[in-house]
Amino acid sequence: MKCDGFEAVINDLARSGIMDAVLRDEALSHSASCRRCAVRLADERELTAGLKALAVASAPEAPARIEASLLAAFRQQHGALPVSVESRRGANRWLYVAAGIAAVVAIVWLVSLTISRTPVSTQQQKPEQANANAAVPDQHPQQNLKPAESTIPTEMIPAEQKRSVRNPATIGAVSGRVKRPAGGKREADPALDSNVEAEITTDFFPLINRGTGQLDSGQIVRVELPRSALMAFGLPMNMDRADERIKADVVVGNDGLARAIRFVR
Amino acid sequence: MTLPTTPSDPDLLRQMMDGDEDAFTQLYQRRQAGVYRFALQMSGSQTLAEDVTQEVFIVLMRDARRYDPDRGSLSAYLYGIARNHVLRKLEQDRPYVPFIDRTADAEEITPQAMIAEGDPLSELTRGEKIQELRDLILSMPARYREVVVLCDLHEMSYVEAAAVINCAVGTVRSRLHRARALLLDKLRAARDRNEDAQEVNPARCFA
Repeated sequence: MKCDGFEAVINDLARSGIMDAVLRDEALSHSASCRRCAVRLADERELTAGLKALAVASAPEAPARIEASLLAAFRQQHGALPVSVESRRGANRWLYVAAGIAAVVAIVWLVSLTISRTPVSTQQQKPEQANANAAVPDQHPQQNLKPAESTIPTEMIPAEQKRSVRNPATIGAVSGRVKRPAGGKREADPALDSNVEAEITTDFFPLINRGTGQLDSGQIVRVELPRSALMAFGLPMNMDRADERIKADVVVGNDGLARAIRFVR
Repeated sequence: MTLPTTPSDPDLLRQMMDGDEDAFTQLYQRRQAGVYRFALQMSGSQTLAEDVTQEVFIVLMRDARRYDPDRGSLSAYLYGIARNHVLRKLEQDRPYVPFIDRTADAEEITPQAMIAEGDPLSELTRGEKIQELRDLILSMPARYREVVVLCDLHEMSYVEAAAVINCAVGTVRSRLHRARALLLDKLRAARDRNEDAQEVNPARCFA
């Protein structure tokens, strides 16, 4: 072997790598006879020893927090996958219901707050009506609301907020039916009629539990709610249109409390 | 009687893909040290090494199907991802002045580590030499640095290193040869500088 051949295998020789035994012996015998190659081999072996010492000295591991965060990511990734489409739809449905209820409560609270800050109008209570309602405090809220709602004086409602209460007697009747109002039962206001004719409303749904007072007079306020609010009242909702909003009329008493709601299309 | 068998990397990977958390943990614990050390030795930055280790296993978690057993071991696949991330980050950080954080190392010194076994002076010299070698490796071009780290520090064969770097085996062999020659040159130069510094000029002492 000559110096060139020795140079080609010096790394394997110094690193004790896998090499042909015959070639190894030839290289070692060459280094024994060539001073330059012997020095070269000694340097390479020293370097190998230094690199091994470095490998041993720097053998750290990744901090435990990395494993923790990776495990969290793993759980997050695989926790979401096995859920079936059906159960996801179910979860969405509950989400819509919860969102609807929250929206209605928020709207009602806002409306109540707004109205309670305005001076109380000159509406007067009808004592006989109040007494009649007070006499049946444990009645179903529908029954409790029923006579009270019928006393809403329409002349107290601002023109822009006026909406035909299709049949006051039905206020508070919990029903999922969507009724087309009978035009003949409305007041003879042509402007209002033309507006109302195009609308389809549901029955009024009570918003207040029993025993929270009766309604002597109040206002109907037109609001817009997330479509998911329909589900809060047991009405069917097209999930594809969940992002859209829907109009609703809220009956607000003079005490500022919202009493009932109906949906308008 | 059957001996308990250790699951292979591909087995663990399959279980991991099925959502087995234990398999993922086992795979991580088996492979994280190598990946972390590779990133640390390539960059000299603990922060970068941690980031790279995290990214490597996140890639594995999300794109495990991209691993092809026919193209190499899972270990080589993970090193390959780590290499790509390290080189990309080093490229991004190139405009900045390199900074080797020694405070992080200092914080990790335990009382046990402060007790020198044997001759303290030789321990100090040995420690200095190791640090010097580490700095020299970090000062090399990345293509040479990576073969030294893979073949000498991680004791990979040429074939394994070629799978990580995605090049021919001959390329690894020639690069390693060149890299070691470069290292020896730098070590000799450093040694010469030290000897020059230690030389005393007696004429100045009597002046």
